[in-house]
Amino acid sequence: MTGKIKIIIASVVVVVFIVVGFMSFMDNKIDYASFADAQKRLKTVEVKGVWQKDKETKYDAEKSTFTFYMKDEANTEMKVILDGAKPNNFDIATMIVAKGKVKDDVFYAKEILTKCPSKYEGKGEDVKKSSNL
Amino acid sequence: MVGKLLIYVAFVASLISIIGFFLAHMGKENFLKIGRLFFHITVIGVLTAALYLMYNVLTHQFQFSYVWEQSSTDLQLPLLVSTFWAGQEGSFMLWGLFTAIIGIFLMNYVSKGERMEAQVMAMFTLVLSFITLILILKSPFHYLWETFPKDVEFGYQPAEGRGLNPLLQNFWMAIHPPTLFLGFASLTVPFAFAMGALLKNDFDSWASFSVPWILFSGGILGLGIMMGGYWAYSILGWGGYWAWDPVENSSLIPWIINVASLHTIIAQRKTGGYKKTNLLLSILAFLLVLYSTFLTRSGILGDSSVHSFTDPGAEVYAALLAFIITFSVISIGMILFRFKNLKDIRTESSQLMTKESLLFIGALLLCASALVIFVGTSLPIFSKAKVDMTFYNNMNLPIAIGLMLTMGLSLYIDWKQTDYKKFVNNLILPGILSFVTLIVLIIIGLQNPIYILFAFVSLIAFFINARIAVRILKSGKMNVGGMFAHIGIALFFLGVIGSAKYSQEVNLSLQEGKTQEAFGYKFTYVGANPFMDANNKRDTMYAFNINVEQDNKEMIMRPVMFFSKFSNGVMKSPDIAYFSYKDLYLSPMSLEEPSPYPSESLYSLKKGSKTKANELEVEFIDFDFGTMQKGGKEMASGNYTLGAILKVNDGVNTETLNLKTKFTEGTPSPTPFTMQNNKKYVFYFLNMSVKGEEAGGTTASVSIMDPSTVSSGSEKETLVVAASIKPFISVLWTGVLILFVGFILSIVRRRKEILFKQPEKVEEVKKDSNPKNKGKKK
Repeated sequence: MTGKIKIIIASVVVVVFIVVGFMSFMDNKIDYASFADAQKRLKTVEVKGVWQKDKETKYDAEKSTFTFYMKDEANTEMKVILDGAKPNNFDIATMIVAKGKVKDDVFYAKEILTKCPSKYEGKGEDVKKSSNL
Repeated sequence: MVGKLLIYVAFVASLISIIGFFLAHMGKENFLKIGRLFFHITVIGVLTAALYLMYNVLTHQFQFSYVWEQSSTDLQLPLLVSTFWAGQEGSFMLWGLFTAIIGIFLMNYVSKGERMEAQVMAMFTLVLSFITLILILKSPFHYLWETFPKDVEFGYQPAEGRGLNPLLQNFWMAIHPPTLFLGFASLTVPFAFAMGALLKNDFDSWASFSVPWILFSGGILGLGIMMGGYWAYSILGWGGYWAWDPVENSSLIPWIINVASLHTIIAQRKTGGYKKTNLLLSILAFLLVLYSTFLTRSGILGDSSVHSFTDPGAEVYAALLAFIITFSVISIGMILFRFKNLKDIRTESSQLMTKESLLFIGALLLCASALVIFVGTSLPIFSKAKVDMTFYNNMNLPIAIGLMLTMGLSLYIDWKQTDYKKFVNNLILPGILSFVTLIVLIIIGLQNPIYILFAFVSLIAFFINARIAVRILKSGKMNVGGMFAHIGIALFFLGVIGSAKYSQEVNLSLQEGKTQEAFGYKFTYVGANPFMDANNKRDTMYAFNINVEQDNKEMIMRPVMFFSKFSNGVMKSPDIAYFSYKDLYLSPMSLEEPSPYPSESLYSLKKGSKTKANELEVEFIDFDFGTMQKGGKEMASGNYTLGAILKVNDGVNTETLNLKTKFTEGTPSPTPFTMQNNKKYVFYFLNMSVKGEEAGGTTASVSIMDPSTVSSGSEKETLVVAASIKPFISVLWTGVLILFVGFILSIVRRRKEILFKQPEKVEEVKKDSNPKNKGKKK
């Protein structure tokens, strides 16, 4: 009898856990998307792209927001406002990953990752240069 | 040559050793000697290769690509040593080195008494064999001219190396990775024991002699993980100690499984239950180490982590994948092979309120937590998505509450029958103490009901374990390791509640000399000092002095920023004021140079519309792109000259001005322009901005100022910092330390038990209540 109750309790707990887990998982899943996708959806997404150096790029010290323009992989350009200062390595990044949502044609980013693929890898042509440092 | 040769020797010897041990397992006892001999050769090969690499690092042998790439002559000794493991090749070497050293102790350990030497050593050597294989594919002993045949001629030796990434130039770099790798390497041992048990078809004896090893892994790996957290918090300025990053997660998952197995294996020793669970968990912990290595070393998570990954190349990718697949197949194969024997093992007692059941629930909760983290971390591999931190936090919260509950209550529950009256009596004192402490926490600000519950169960776990620990210590015994570990975890969670849920953060823009207030502190930026770090002779660093005042007590906090030539970017490091119940955390964000253009002189001019600027009427006609293509290559590069054509009327004359500005990497250096007949105002063209059509299309940002009204030098630089208050974070670190002390105490105790009570194994078997198992023993 106790064995049966134990199994019933355990199954209920496991089922609840899986259901809650699945719901939480779907809620917190962040997809990689384009600006066009981001505009259609209200959810937080991640957009990969490139900083447009010729467009306005500024830091607002009062509001502590960093504004710049980014072109995503589908060549759509959008204004991005990051809640925070200019990210590390922003100037040399070959790729930017912005996490946030679109509101009124502006992408409000909560977090930005900068990607510098060859940053830490030595190149052959650097071998001789490094001796002169 | 020497280094590569040593690795080849180690690899070949390991294969012979495996064959020797396996033949010994098949009953040909003579081959045991061959297995041992070649295992020693493997170990010597790996050790000398590691020593050779260390020699290359210490003596700056820059003709080796690895040394050139990671190291330099300007590093001080601890950091110079750490360049040994700063890159992938070296960290595989370190993994191999630790596995080899552990192997020496393991062989000594299993060759004493009946400890399944042939089986355990065969499995252990197979792991070492794979590590040497990776070292063959990803060798730290390549010469520069082998790596870069086009650029470097044979025999060339540079005088200087590239140097260590400034992010890694820190004391923690010298101890965090080795601790973590020691933890990873040590998890091979419980795996080898479990596989040995399957090979030998003996599921009982290993439970007792593997306990010190499981404890060792748990203690070291846990310490390594939290060192990484402390490094991130105190030096790297990530703001927190844990970000649910794939690299962090993938080392946490094996640790959680290891801790689960620790509890169930102790239960097996007491009651004989959980034999299957223990085999499974010990195997799983090791496979998860391989999975972690694959995730973090194969480059597969390149886009979803703050850690930078380098692509190791297809060969290493394949080798790492082969590593996991091979060991998963062997493990699953062995379980299927022994499936019939495993099936007959008795199942656990069916009573709900026994210590055994509670331990099982605890282990189950730990596994659930590991599963949650595993699913979240693995998502980027299977789809173009990842999960937010909220997922991990929300899912682990109820699990942690359950864990704290079992961690407290299980101590007052017996293995067989519990006297409920006694049980309830035992709970009265810890219950009252927890309740009183909880009221205090609520008064100082704990609000959210679920966190109140979490704090309450953590407090109960804390007081129950503390009470029992005190009782044991009073009676003169030292077996309080488990209680210490539990106290540590309870404190850790209380620290998590305070620091994660009740942290406050604001961004402060501190103009030099002007005071701002936040959290009851007065912050004043009083200027920067340049300084040189002993380990980094290439970059000048800047300490930004911030005067912090509260209740007439003053202190200076100094967050650091500098431009690193190595990574071609700005490096930032926070400063933390540690108080007993909270940390004040200042993270530098940026330094804004004073703008020569006062904000009242700035105009955003729309194309075609007229704007009043003082007594002037200004109309923006168009941009002058010159010969450039609008939005073309030149503009994308950020280096170009752009003009803005304005029509200006000062009430007398109308003139057309073409304000030309040179841009370097997108930063304007505007040339001043004035009207021919009115020199009062100076015009600067600062930038173009493109807004959506609704917002008015293209605009030009222009400064129109009267130099006589602008007092020069009044504008000062502005330091932007993120200031935060993190309550109870000291409780968290105290918890981590106590947890580690708990592990050490347990290891000492269990080791003694095994060394001085050899026949214990036999006792355990006698206790086994199920007669069915007895006949199965060899």
